[in-house]
Amino acid sequence: MSRSWWGRFCLLLFFVVLSVVYVYPTIANLDLEKTKFPFKQKINLGLDLQGGLYLVLGVDFNKVYHDVAERQSNHLLERLKEKGYSATNSKIQTEGLPADDPLILFDFDPSKREDLYQLLKKEFINLRLAGEHAGHFELGLSHDFRTEVRERTVNQSIEVIRNRIDEFGVSEPSISSQGTDRIVVELPGVGEIDRAKSLIGQTAKLEFKIVDDKSTATLKLANLISDIEKKNNLTYKDGQKFSEYVRKLNELAKGQIPAGDEIAFERNKVAGTETELGRVPFLLFSKAEITGEDLQDAMVQFDQENHRPTVGFSLSPRGALAFERVTSEHIGHRLAIVLDNIVHSAPVIQSKIGGGKGVISLGRGDADAMMKEAKDLAIVLRAGALPAQLDFLEQRVVGPSLGQDSIHKGALASLIGSIVVFIFVAIYYQVSGLIAVFSLVLNVLFVLACLVGLEATLTLPGIAGIALTVGIAVDSNVVIYERIREELRHGKRPGVAVDAGFQKAFRTILDANVTNAMAAFVLLTFGTGPIKGFAVTLMIGIVTTLLTAVFVCRLVFDLYLNYLDNRNAKTISI
Amino acid sequence: MLELIRPGIKIDFVGKRNVLMGISLFAVIATFVLLFTKGLNYGIDFTGGAEVQVRVPTSWDIGRIREELNQGGIHGLKVQQIGIPSASQFLIKEQGDEKSLNLVSKHVSDILGKSLKPSEFEIQRVDVVGPAAGSSLRTSGFMSMFFALVCILLYVWLRFDSRFAPGAVLALFHDTVLTLGVLILTQKQFDLQILAALLALIGYSNNDTIIVYDRVRETIHQHPELPMEQAVNRAINETLGRTILTSLCTFITVAALWLFGGKVIEDFAFTLMVGIVVGTYSSIFIASSFVIIMSQYLDHKEKRSKTHGSAKRRRVVMIRPEPKAN
Repeated sequence: MSRSWWGRFCLLLFFVVLSVVYVYPTIANLDLEKTKFPFKQKINLGLDLQGGLYLVLGVDFNKVYHDVAERQSNHLLERLKEKGYSATNSKIQTEGLPADDPLILFDFDPSKREDLYQLLKKEFINLRLAGEHAGHFELGLSHDFRTEVRERTVNQSIEVIRNRIDEFGVSEPSISSQGTDRIVVELPGVGEIDRAKSLIGQTAKLEFKIVDDKSTATLKLANLISDIEKKNNLTYKDGQKFSEYVRKLNELAKGQIPAGDEIAFERNKVAGTETELGRVPFLLFSKAEITGEDLQDAMVQFDQENHRPTVGFSLSPRGALAFERVTSEHIGHRLAIVLDNIVHSAPVIQSKIGGGKGVISLGRGDADAMMKEAKDLAIVLRAGALPAQLDFLEQRVVGPSLGQDSIHKGALASLIGSIVVFIFVAIYYQVSGLIAVFSLVLNVLFVLACLVGLEATLTLPGIAGIALTVGIAVDSNVVIYERIREELRHGKRPGVAVDAGFQKAFRTILDANVTNAMAAFVLLTFGTGPIKGFAVTLMIGIVTTLLTAVFVCRLVFDLYLNYLDNRNAKTISI
Repeated sequence: MLELIRPGIKIDFVGKRNVLMGISLFAVIATFVLLFTKGLNYGIDFTGGAEVQVRVPTSWDIGRIREELNQGGIHGLKVQQIGIPSASQFLIKEQGDEKSLNLVSKHVSDILGKSLKPSEFEIQRVDVVGPAAGSSLRTSGFMSMFFALVCILLYVWLRFDSRFAPGAVLALFHDTVLTLGVLILTQKQFDLQILAALLALIGYSNNDTIIVYDRVRETIHQHPELPMEQAVNRAINETLGRTILTSLCTFITVAALWLFGGKVIEDFAFTLMVGIVVGTYSSIFIASSFVIIMSQYLDHKEKRSKTHGSAKRRRVVMIRPEPKAN
């Protein structure tokens, strides 16, 4: 064989070996935790195959925008009052307006309008003037601000949901935003739709609790916890319910920690995932000093001196009083910010804070990390202060048995279909048919390997997509073979006919697959869940089909032609 | 050499084009009539609603389930048996407002839990789609179908010229509409999966057409003296073996899915099967016939503009050489 053939052969061999390594853990159904096999990854199964819960939540912005406008309006009126102006008849109008664009209406002395404009320009960049006539002013939220509110509302809702996912003991949950106002929650293995809904549907619970620093030090909290864990054989593993673990731990610790105290944890997770890096225990006074109801808003700010990001928050009048009392009593102590029973931060109280406005400065670190931390903390605070209403738009649950059943049936059907096609092709094209079967088998192998490599999700329609790929891939082989047959009929020698067949067929094959790819692409952008899985396998299938039909098939044909040449054969089995 | 279609075959497809196009036109019109009279049987994905699939002991029949649900205080639910009777699987459906939909799965499991032990029944699947989500899914679904059609139209237009493109697009339209027609006639539930199958068909059914077209062009190149009808007919005959073979192979795999793939994917596979058959028919009979019609029309127009002595010739992208004086 020529050197170029060996080169191509080695390339193919490399990809085949790689693909086998990728696919083996899935096919052999290895236990990834125990196996010694070096490659530890399996095909992701969609919820329709492994069973689980799929929820699409719509964020209801109506109340959110109304509240935001009201807060801006209160602030503005306050500032005007401080400056000695009076604005009257103020109200928020939402009726007959888009949900995200409420108006702030008030009456104001028109001769002072320049002063008002100055104030707006300087201090209220989030507001825009929407209209004014005869002393009647209309202000709206600026476009950028509305976008910001929308984004942060979605983010805080995601954060709240993420916080609660532990309740389900799910090892690989996925929570993501879809479009601008939807959140998709996927919980593999969860079947209790009603419990899931009631947990996610609850509003977030934010509490400020004082850290019992004194007892923490005398008790050696970390040691205490590991002692309790050891004695009672209590451990927390990924995939279990965290709240359950904390509840048990507190029960067992009773008597060993001061009455009126509780243990809570801060959980450090890898950004954007549920993988836990570590957790920090806290001993807190159980009494919540301030709750989310008392908190009005929170946002990232910048320290005027060192320009570091900080988190500013404002409290309701009632909250302000409580906060002033707490901060004066506990100077030097830490105040834990607890969202849904998880500690998110525990800043030290530096001084008595009155007036209902506080600033949390962050630890040291590089600017990016601090910015991220500030954003996360602001999200947590706002999640308690401004809980957005979530609507359940779609809820889908597939039980594990139905999922298993689908895998078996889908795989069986694809196998039967493929084998019938293989037999048919082998009989029809004989030796060349076997070459086609070989390339089809490799095609399926490559599709599966790509699914593993791209960490794509295999769904039931996805399995159908693989079967369909086999059907469509045969098309390419048939186009090539029919061409070769024609060339042979015109009296060409096998080698020449094969060359011409591959050459002339290529453009046709490419053309036919381009339209397929277009439809698959549209499907990919439109579809969610199972449908997306179908689009993904179709797309991958198209690419691997092009490669195997042109590259693999040609390679084996060259081998076959070489064999024929050596025997001086004048015919080719096709 | 095993041959399904003998190489020298000469079937006069083109000669029968008027009859077949008439039939197709009738079928398309009939589908539209059906669409507006009988209508698609939209599933809950598009209408909003709730479906709960349960497995109960084999001793329970459909009447028993209805009775239990009625006694449990929920009325007006549609119950239907699915799969083989021995599997005793039932589908409980509800159409209603968002609030009642939200409670269906809880009610059903509560009621069944009263009379049965947890091991005796299983909630196998729950699908709840709010009415608003349903209508937005429907809109985005049909938009994406439209979008796919436009993309492919653009591609075919770029790839071929004005003699070919209209035929390919019409064939595509024809395939989609007729497949929808069969779905209406069989009253299969039209849901997201079926829509996905239709989208895949929009991509796939053009395959055959493009291959026939490629051959028509090649034939015209090699034999410029042939009249268009004969060139097209020859191309169809030459590619007939291939067209039937490939459609057959795809059909086999999809039919296997239909037969053995289980209830969840049955209708999806059925839609693909129908689409493959219709698509093969249209690329042999409809798409190619339209090439003849278009080129006759364009030739006619060209001739007329010549005899009228217009200096500016219309720019028609020609693959076909100038017809010899005849």
